[in-house]
Amino acid sequence: MTVPDDRRYTDQHEWALRHDGMIRIGITDYAQEALGDVVFVDLPATGRRIATGESIAEVESTKSVAEIYAPCAGTIAAVNQVLAEHPEQINADPYGAGWFVDVTPDDPAEIDRLLDAAGYQALIG
Amino acid sequence: MTASLRSPLHATHEALGARFTDFGGWEMPLQYAGTLAEHHAVRSAAGVFDVSHLGRFAVDGPDAEALVGRMLCNHLGRIAPGRAQYTLMLTPSGGVIDDIIVWWLAPGRIIVLPNGVNHDRVRDAFAGAGADVHITDLRPTTVLLAVQGPQAPALLATILGTAPKRFRVSEVDGMVAAGTGYTGESGAELIVEAARATGVWERLTAGGATPCGLGARDTLRLEMGYPLWGQDLDVDTTPLEAGLEWVVDWDHEFVGRDALIAQRAAGPSRTLVGFAFPDRRIPRHGFPMRCGHSIGVVSSGNFSPSLEVGIGMGYLAPVPPADASVEVEVRGEWFPARRVDPPFLER
Repeated sequence: MTVPDDRRYTDQHEWALRHDGMIRIGITDYAQEALGDVVFVDLPATGRRIATGESIAEVESTKSVAEIYAPCAGTIAAVNQVLAEHPEQINADPYGAGWFVDVTPDDPAEIDRLLDAAGYQALIG
Repeated sequence: MTASLRSPLHATHEALGARFTDFGGWEMPLQYAGTLAEHHAVRSAAGVFDVSHLGRFAVDGPDAEALVGRMLCNHLGRIAPGRAQYTLMLTPSGGVIDDIIVWWLAPGRIIVLPNGVNHDRVRDAFAGAGADVHITDLRPTTVLLAVQGPQAPALLATILGTAPKRFRVSEVDGMVAAGTGYTGESGAELIVEAARATGVWERLTAGGATPCGLGARDTLRLEMGYPLWGQDLDVDTTPLEAGLEWVVDWDHEFVGRDALIAQRAAGPSRTLVGFAFPDRRIPRHGFPMRCGHSIGVVSSGNFSPSLEVGIGMGYLAPVPPADASVEVEVRGEWFPARRVDPPFLER
């Protein structure tokens, strides 16, 4: 199970990556593996204000639905529209093409309080 | 309930990297490579499922046909020895105790296949009916495999020497094979002695059958509109409400007949309605639904891997007009759906 060390992690299995002055958000390899084949993603509208810990997306697999929680506060700047037709990218490339949203953070330093790669690796064992 | 029962093929599944799920006390494969890939393998080629958790017992003896006739609402008089039949066991008030397949091997020899969770209840009812039959529980000594898909007949022919035709039952090489299944594809279900299970499984997979788990089994059956007992059928639901009148043979005596005749005369107060979303949004069991002035709940719903939209079915009361559009509530928001008379997928 890969855990890149270029980003931060929540204990709910989201990742947060600094990207072009924004925070890119996705789910981890561990999370996509646990979900199984992702078949639908309900993404938020751009411009939406989000609070830390707020549900910002829903991910459905053939067996269950999971909510995705904001790792930081801010404003939704962009969503990955490719996921609407190709949600399988979340399974195929969870840390890259399977990203969910870009957020303009209220506090760019907020994600530094999340788990680092070693901390997340310890969490998932 | 903790999953304590395992198939004789459990180690084989583990070696294939299966992820397991608890199904009625049985620890069975949910998926191997992935539900979508397994689903598409069955629709386009062939898949093999270990469904050893399903019930199965033999009813042998001079009263076998008479016993099956009065216990179940379909009737063997509609078929002949060497054929299989879909049928139901009902309560006196017409509710579905279980939906069942019977394999009529020969006069005086029938195998009854209830759902796994209902095996004991159905078997005990048969054993306690005072008929001159011998009941043999087949679950402890056999596995049940389903081989399904357009390439399944050719694959089965290489192993059995012949592929069972649709709803035909035969004994071949110590196995019992029936041209039945739960996917809408051609193929067969096989009862195999436990000692031979690994060998048969390996011949099937070596011949090209993709190992498939219960996840794909559920998406495949839902595309065909096949009901799942416990979701779409239960003891409070009658076959008339479930759209299963075709399974009822009115011309014979069976438990529940009087109640069904009364309901048929009055008209059922609710009915099972299928629907499809225009997109990938997924309806789930328990979601509220409505249609005109009728309201109800989704009984089964999932993503259709073949159609790439969300599909489902649920009970609406009162029975809505045929042209009324369906809406389904997904986590607080109502979404329109197109009404579909299952199957969702033509085969």
